Amino acid sequence: MEILLQHCVNALQWGSFYALIALGYTLVYGVLRLINFAHGDIFMVGAYIAFFISTTLLAKDGAFALSMDTTLALTIPLTVLLTSLVGVTLERIAYRPLRRKGAHRLYVVITALMCGLILENGNLALLGASRRTLPQLLEKHVYSLGGIAVTNLKIWVILAAFAVFVLLQLAVTRTRIGMAMRAVSYDRFALPLMGIPMDWVIVFTFMVGSGIAGLGGLLFAMSYPVLEPYMGVMTGWKAFIAAVVGGIGDIRGAFAGGFLLAFVEIMVAAFLPSTFRDLFAFSILLLILWKRPTGIFGTPLTTKI
Amino acid sequence: MALLEVIDVTQRFGGLQALSCFDMIVEEREIVGLIGPNGAGKTTVFNLVSGFYTPTTGEIRFRGKSTRGMKPNQVTALGLARTFQNIRLWNDMTVLDNVRMARYHWLGYGLLDAILRTRRYAQAEKAVEAKARHVLEIMELEDCATELPKNLPYGLQRRVELARALTVEPSLLLLDEPAAGLNSADVDGLIRQIRWIHENFDVAIWMIEHQMKVVMTLCQRLTVIDFGSIIASGTPVEVQKNPKVIAAYLGEERL
Amino acid sequence: MQRNALTVLLALVCIALVAAAQYRLLDSYLLTVLMFMGINIVFATSLNLVNGYMGEFSCGHGGFMCVGAYVGSILSVALFSGNKLMGPALLSPALAPLLFPLVLLAAFAVSALCGLLVALPSFRTRDDYLAIITIAANYIIISVVENIDAIGGPRGFSGMKRTVLAMEDVVDIPWMLVWVIVVTIVCVIIQRRLMSSTYGRGICAVCQNEVAAEIMGVDTNRVKLMAFMLSSGLAGVAGVLYAHVYGYVNAQAFNILKSTEGLVMVYLGGMGSLSGVILAAIAFTLLVEGLRFAIPALNDLLHAVQLMPASYEISQVWKWVLLPLLLVLLMQFRPEGFLGNKELTDVFPRLKRWMRSGSGEADGRGAS
Repeated sequence: MEILLQHCVNALQWGSFYALIALGYTLVYGVLRLINFAHGDIFMVGAYIAFFISTTLLAKDGAFALSMDTTLALTIPLTVLLTSLVGVTLERIAYRPLRRKGAHRLYVVITALMCGLILENGNLALLGASRRTLPQLLEKHVYSLGGIAVTNLKIWVILAAFAVFVLLQLAVTRTRIGMAMRAVSYDRFALPLMGIPMDWVIVFTFMVGSGIAGLGGLLFAMSYPVLEPYMGVMTGWKAFIAAVVGGIGDIRGAFAGGFLLAFVEIMVAAFLPSTFRDLFAFSILLLILWKRPTGIFGTPLTTKI
Repeated sequence: MALLEVIDVTQRFGGLQALSCFDMIVEEREIVGLIGPNGAGKTTVFNLVSGFYTPTTGEIRFRGKSTRGMKPNQVTALGLARTFQNIRLWNDMTVLDNVRMARYHWLGYGLLDAILRTRRYAQAEKAVEAKARHVLEIMELEDCATELPKNLPYGLQRRVELARALTVEPSLLLLDEPAAGLNSADVDGLIRQIRWIHENFDVAIWMIEHQMKVVMTLCQRLTVIDFGSIIASGTPVEVQKNPKVIAAYLGEERL
Repeated sequence: MQRNALTVLLALVCIALVAAAQYRLLDSYLLTVLMFMGINIVFATSLNLVNGYMGEFSCGHGGFMCVGAYVGSILSVALFSGNKLMGPALLSPALAPLLFPLVLLAAFAVSALCGLLVALPSFRTRDDYLAIITIAANYIIISVVENIDAIGGPRGFSGMKRTVLAMEDVVDIPWMLVWVIVVTIVCVIIQRRLMSSTYGRGICAVCQNEVAAEIMGVDTNRVKLMAFMLSSGLAGVAGVLYAHVYGYVNAQAFNILKSTEGLVMVYLGGMGSLSGVILAAIAFTLLVEGLRFAIPALNDLLHAVQLMPASYEISQVWKWVLLPLLLVLLMQFRPEGFLGNKELTDVFPRLKRWMRSGSGEADGRGAS
């Protein structure tokens, strides 16, 4: 029983990572109908940005030599900001020109896939194969609740994911730009009626999505401090699956899908050899899509003739 | 036995009742019309008949055989062909290939025949080619056989779609607004063409049409629907005088 | 007469290649590059069936290559050479050259069956959702293979070199080159013939307007089934060749990166253009191999003129930055690829006339 609970806590933590990345996929998809295949690598970039910021700020002989707490307090907003800039830049130089030309959707998807490859291999080529370790930013406490051990970091991760979700829900239901985002996903042509330029909405979407992924990258790197250029690939694909299982384009779906996937994985790994984890995760995806081709929260496809 | 019987068909999409208790019988070699204001559910009727939707309740019989559970291609195989309101041609295939494709169900050869170029393949392709060219000739389209439909003027595209439907050798032809977007000279041509087809092929025609000229000159019977229910039926003259019909159309300021 | 000339020319080139390999005029590196060219042609054109002609977006094609590679390798090792995992050979190694086509066929069949994994969901969904399903299928296949210890699991599987040697013991010719050439030609002919038949054009009909196809009597589910199975079967055959040329297979060699290579070739060539994709496969192979030499050369040059700090070396990793960059640029400036959906014969009408004259049948193989 205690072991089961322990697994649940771990699943919540992993679910938070998946959910944070899946939100980015789903936001961009909702607005642009584009699978931003580079998103998993944005997550990786976020982790690296966090690494560079925190090492610079912490360095004892450097210009700043800040304390751990101050560093963390500065690293979070800086990482989110810089990662969202990366996302917006990607949109600006790779996707927008294609959209302007009215290129087929497929070409944008391929461009995204290739941008992901460029990011991860460019990183490997520039920074080399040596792995980097994120310095410790948070004093580690282990709380013991009825036999299960929970670190303060885990609690922060889970809380952060929920906070992001709540804020995002508020943003898309209460703010003008958020409502514009939702409007675009319903009807692209209605947007000019709201008086908000389409490009602005798209930039905003990429900013929010990449920022959240950057936060995810930072939290992930704090939990598993060893960074490598391909860390975003598998996690990214999984998060993407989570978004699809939940019904891509739907914020609740991305969130629910992330936790669902994490639970499945952790439970499979708990009872079977861990090499079966991916097999089960992907098979369950296939089954869910087989039964509900548009995911849990997705609306059924209809063809109009 | 009637060619097509639509018996008490109701169609719901989610909470929306698109069609309620629709009844219709089409006899062999008849020309009948289905009219009604926009959004009345006319195309839904055609989608049901051609097997694209499965009716929520009720039954559709083609030559006495229920089509429930059949896929559209199986319904087509029974001898039913249709055109679409918004033209649906294969735009990157030549006109000839478009028409040829309508014989797909009757090709009678498989993957291995195609790859090994067996005698069966050669004969089937020859027959299909001859048939397609013949239809193009009747429809006066032989000049654009090698054109891509997307490069043709709108009126010709409509004609290609009609040709494609005819190639199925249907016993029932559904025309979804065949005159939409045509100028008046084209409309006259279309009327002549439909009449010619009706005289020379063993085919019943059921059409949705807004242009009264087409409906009045061609159709022997008309059914009028509004909000998914039949509000009138009879000869064109009877229907035209029906106060319910006038009200339905006046509500939309048409006619 | 002239059309025959093209066939004769093609045959002569093939014979010349085999002869050059036989008398050691080609070094083993060039030979390998040539064979990979053929394998890439089979892999890319088979993906083109689904992504080009049918307009779906399958990005897990590597998975089917993996199935074929493993099935072919296991059969070939179990039947003709034997290894630690498989035990002694079941048949006389002398039968290897005769029965190798059967190995290819078996790999085709099993991979085609695995194609059902994506073909069945494609009945109900398409576009993005189908893309996910293909990715999932790719991962599932790799994961399954890695979890079967009897075929080496994550360590991979080897022993195919001995089958090739067994073939060479019977008749001493460069067998793998011969098989690659034969398979490539057969694969191209199959697709060429399929796509010029009304039956095969059903694939294009499904792509261009699925509703119209369904209503005009095309059994769309069957068309999808056929296209997906043929496509994955051919990828499987490419896998067998790959395994035998390398002599070693590992499931991770067929991950998303391999599938991406396939995508690059298809979109480089132009979706739905057989000759375009063949050209792209050739160009891609040459490019990848060319970069292998160009990158160190560039590295030396930049160091020589001191444009780059001495501490930094340009590594082969840059290959996987430059190739995606190439495709990104291609999407920006010529998204339709080399040939769009046209064939070489459409772009150069004279070639078509040249090929058609003297023959009534339109069976020229544009670019092979």
